[in-house]
Amino acid sequence: MIARRGGAGVPVGILVLVLLPLILMPIAAVFVFALRGGLGEFWQALRNEDAQFALRFSLLIAFLTAAINAVLGTYAAYVLAKHRFPGEKPLAIAINLPVAIPTVVVGTSLLLLWGPIGLFGKALEPLGLQPMFTPAGVLLAHLFVTFPYMLGSVKPLLDELEVTYEEAAFTLGAGKWQTFRYVILPALRGGLFSGTLLTFAHSLGEFGATVMVSGNLRLRTQTAPLYIFAQFEAGNVAQANAVAAVLAALSFVIFFFLLRYSAGPKR
Amino acid sequence: MAADLQTLAGRLRRGLVPLAGAALLLYALWPWLPVPGRAATPRTVVFYGFSILGEALNEDVLPAFARRWRERTGERVEFATAFSGSGTVTNQLILGVPAQCALLSLELDAERLAKAGVIPAGSWRRLPHGGVVNRTPFVLVVRKGNPKGLRDFSDLARPGVKVVHPDPLTSGGANWALLAEYGSAARRSPGREREAGFESLMGVWRNVTAQAASARAARTQFENGFGDVLVTYEQDVIEDAAAGTLPGEIVYPPSTVLSEHTLVVVEKNVSPSERPLVDALVQFLWSEEAQRLFVRRGFRSVDERLNAANPAFGAIRDPFLVRDFGGWNRVKKEIVDGIWKERVMTEVGK
Repeated sequence: MIARRGGAGVPVGILVLVLLPLILMPIAAVFVFALRGGLGEFWQALRNEDAQFALRFSLLIAFLTAAINAVLGTYAAYVLAKHRFPGEKPLAIAINLPVAIPTVVVGTSLLLLWGPIGLFGKALEPLGLQPMFTPAGVLLAHLFVTFPYMLGSVKPLLDELEVTYEEAAFTLGAGKWQTFRYVILPALRGGLFSGTLLTFAHSLGEFGATVMVSGNLRLRTQTAPLYIFAQFEAGNVAQANAVAAVLAALSFVIFFFLLRYSAGPKR
Repeated sequence: MAADLQTLAGRLRRGLVPLAGAALLLYALWPWLPVPGRAATPRTVVFYGFSILGEALNEDVLPAFARRWRERTGERVEFATAFSGSGTVTNQLILGVPAQCALLSLELDAERLAKAGVIPAGSWRRLPHGGVVNRTPFVLVVRKGNPKGLRDFSDLARPGVKVVHPDPLTSGGANWALLAEYGSAARRSPGREREAGFESLMGVWRNVTAQAASARAARTQFENGFGDVLVTYEQDVIEDAAAGTLPGEIVYPPSTVLSEHTLVVVEKNVSPSERPLVDALVQFLWSEEAQRLFVRRGFRSVDERLNAANPAFGAIRDPFLVRDFGGWNRVKKEIVDGIWKERVMTEVGK
């Protein structure tokens, strides 16, 4: 493909004109508004106890989600890539489904399963366990919603990986675990990295499922996106926007890392 | 040398992601790290409330109680609170949120909780004032200068008037608003109450252009420029109106309802050790100190004598209560379901 150098002005201009109100200006609006009252006011809004809790809680959930799904997703990818078994196809489709299901539906179904009226909920009730409306419920929702990201980043690499490497390792006397640890895992580094970051980023911004299962308790289960929504609804736009600006900035950093490094290890 | 620098730069770059991650994790974990000199974790009461209570409870009433409790027992008490539409709160309670107390915007939601087995039937009526903590009348908020000249609920029926209204399915306030719209007309037309009430609702709802999940959300819509008039609690707008920051002005209809807000204690979420704390909190809500704080925040006290303390309260010629229409069970059946849902909404939908 030969890039045309001359005469780019008009198409580029049109593209920018279309993208300006569609994508570029909304991104800018968060930051422009955040700084309108001055840095002091922005800082004040962020220092608020509820805002601090919401940000920290969201980050913790994101870390946990990323860690658990990194292990679970890699394992699922490994099993699906290396083993042939009946029902493989339906299973592969099922565990990829969370990308397509509306998150509110996820929240609803979690409530119907784990809530006091649900199958698991009824079984857990006598034990005094109630995951819904607690941090555990939020974690469950996030694990569900972000599950396919790890799988999607790791499985293609596993599919591409030549079986000969494993065979060589095996003939050299490496055990199953050693082969995985020293042969397969290094080859997956790029996928693990981008999968984990994607999971983290999605968990950080998850709203639809969280709003259903968290109970929206300030200082208990209110994530940053829920805080933003609650504050905006209550008319505290500056409070909402300060946290929104932080989330937006974090997502930029994550995206930057993704672009910058995930291409690296593949070389 | 140059190569050394390059590997160093490379190493720094590679280290950047883990470093950034570790810093974020440290920030996130900070409040839970066992740093010496940090106070022991306080006792927590989980308190749910309907939308407009947020500031009054979080900033005034609950901190005041925490101070009293500390003076009395030396214990620190912390409140986990959540505020949304009264119906939403009720649904969450039914689904099992661990709240110990909830302040609902209408008794009907308490009835629903009793029906779902969350609280014993009628338990709130054994509290002081039948469980009613405070009141506030329903008013109209119009654009500055009242350009459409709206003075009463009947004016909302005029063609071209755009009404912003909370959704009666999720908002307790919206149910009060329905009663206000119905009752103001019914009280003026003795002998043909039902027809007058129906016509009034019909007129208003033909002009409803935006419905929000809670009274608070409806107000946010109005402030964002939607509609000519908002039907809402006096309390929600009185503070801003007095401060001059309300993008509109309050109109007091000649006849309107005073909403009454009901407290429920979710006994099954109160452990024996928390009993004295929750009991003290419940008593405190009806204490003169708490009632004065509510009045300062624009709620009308159940103790009429205290209401003189807030000069911003407007006069209403003919205020009425839900008991004037037979209580919420009857109002729900005959007016909300029987007239609004079955007759008005089907007409408007045509």
